[in-house]
Amino acid sequence: MAESVIDVRGVSTSLGGHAIHRDLSLSVARGEVIALIGGSGTGKSVLLREIIGLLRPQAGHIELFGQSVWDATPEQMNALRRRFGVLFQDGALFSSLTVEDNVATPLFEHTALPRPTCRQLARLKLALVGLPDDAAKKRPSELSGGMRKRVALARALALDPELLFLDEPTSGLDPISARTFDHLIRLLADSLGLTVFLVTHDLDTLFSIIDRVIVLSNGRVLGSGTIEALKHIDDPWLRDYFAARASREGIAHGS
Amino acid sequence: MADAHAHFDESEAALIVRGAWNADAASVLPDLAGKPVRVLDGAGVARLDTNGAWLLLNSVRPRPDAPLPELRGFQPHHLSLLRLVDKHGAAAAPLPSPPRLGVRALTGQGAHAVWGHLAGLLDFIGRLSIELFSLAARPGAWRWREFGAQVRDIFVGAIPIVFAMLFLLGVVFAYLLGDQARRYGANIFVVDGLLAAILREISPVIVAVLVAGRTGAAITAQIGTMKVTEEVDAIRTLGLSPLAVLVVPRMLALVLAMPLLVFIGNAAGIFGGMVVAKEQLDISFHMFLDRTADVLLLKTLLVGLGKAPVFAIFIALIACRMGLSVTRDARSVGAHTTSTVVQSLVAIIILNAIFAVMFVRLEI
Repeated sequence: MAESVIDVRGVSTSLGGHAIHRDLSLSVARGEVIALIGGSGTGKSVLLREIIGLLRPQAGHIELFGQSVWDATPEQMNALRRRFGVLFQDGALFSSLTVEDNVATPLFEHTALPRPTCRQLARLKLALVGLPDDAAKKRPSELSGGMRKRVALARALALDPELLFLDEPTSGLDPISARTFDHLIRLLADSLGLTVFLVTHDLDTLFSIIDRVIVLSNGRVLGSGTIEALKHIDDPWLRDYFAARASREGIAHGS
Repeated sequence: MADAHAHFDESEAALIVRGAWNADAASVLPDLAGKPVRVLDGAGVARLDTNGAWLLLNSVRPRPDAPLPELRGFQPHHLSLLRLVDKHGAAAAPLPSPPRLGVRALTGQGAHAVWGHLAGLLDFIGRLSIELFSLAARPGAWRWREFGAQVRDIFVGAIPIVFAMLFLLGVVFAYLLGDQARRYGANIFVVDGLLAAILREISPVIVAVLVAGRTGAAITAQIGTMKVTEEVDAIRTLGLSPLAVLVVPRMLALVLAMPLLVFIGNAAGIFGGMVVAKEQLDISFHMFLDRTADVLLLKTLLVGLGKAPVFAIFIALIACRMGLSVTRDARSVGAHTTSTVVQSLVAIIILNAIFAVMFVRLEI
């Protein structure tokens, strides 16, 4: 078994008196591309926020790179933050900065490099995520949704993290942009040796780029494995989930 | 994890690097001072990321399009990372910095911007007039509820501050006038001076300034935020006109509320003057009011009240137009709100000067 990058053990969460996670455990090994799926309200995004240290679970233990997230000192936590990048659902770009400065901000704040060098590295990242040269000096509001996602991805990659968290990376994108974005993530994960943890509703993402899927249900991990393995789990939600894909393919083939 | 190390071997022109290469490794790069590097030896590199790879490549060649030196000893995945960064490296070339503009160019740009503002305002007035005419034909389309809510915000909310400001200004004015008048035994003429100053100039202008800062800024921020969250677009796609829904109720509420606020300001200013007259000049409230009844001309009151709706129209025009021209980023809302207050204040002062000249020529 390879070294585990994310280790979640016995996490329980309740929000507003409503139990969300009950004794939930999972782990992610280095280099894996993992998708977390589950119905609405099963606490996928909540779990993501707990792992990256934004929300404290009531019980349980969460480790990133072997360092406990919730027992870390502020200095340890900052060192940890440099090792992972987060892509928020709607990009969360700074609207008053140019695209280039958005990507360069983590470099400004966390490295001793001179500002022109930071900007050059930012443009390298923009090129890596496939944005044209002339996008660098624009503002986020002047870009399309798909381009904004790419900028957000470039910002998440600015400090060359080993681990990337993506919250619904393809939501709000048209199917073609979504597929392109999926393949970009896989390409970067392979060429940069990233571990990727993504929360998604998008079945096509699952089928195209994911090594392993973790299913949340009733506050626990219902199953984990490849899609083929998950199809054998007898669960009404999971059956409906994959049936949705099957019926869509049927429509596509019928026409 | 091993720190990054680098040293330059003069004999074979080789840069030998080892350790972990990331964005923090820049400080250990030796100063090559233009010496050509023929070999990049990475046998000892434990970790390499894109930032580190770019820093390495950038240091070993003078230009991004120059040929790479021989890459020796790198692990295969480090090598492929170097090639990936090299492929995209051209994009990271420094951009030419925008040319610095001279005084003349900046003056020209400023003049162009002012002209753009004026032309935009004229265009806005035109579109708003069309909207008002079409609304006049369909009284059912008036937004009475919105109008009422705006009157409450603009008028009722401003009463305490208007009262306090004008009361204090009345006190100061009466005090200064009284100090002069007393030397000539002309105490009672303080009433004449105070009435003219407060009713004709101070109350309308100060109320307009307060409303511009208070309501004008609020209108721009509110409409601007609605623009950012695409609410304005939603209004348009529902087949409604943003001008009818957002601008007209605010403008009419301002036109109604401003004269009322000026009237309250008049009363507060006179009251402030009365208090000082009684304490400092021995003019009782009764004498003050008698004198007021004798010398106050209706036109003095009407001149002051008449300016208020004109100020109101301009504040509303500027505030709504700036709100609607907000673009979709956070800074824009702040910049446009500031611009509203500045433009409104300038407009108030200019309009007041025009009124003063006009009234003198018309001998009012």
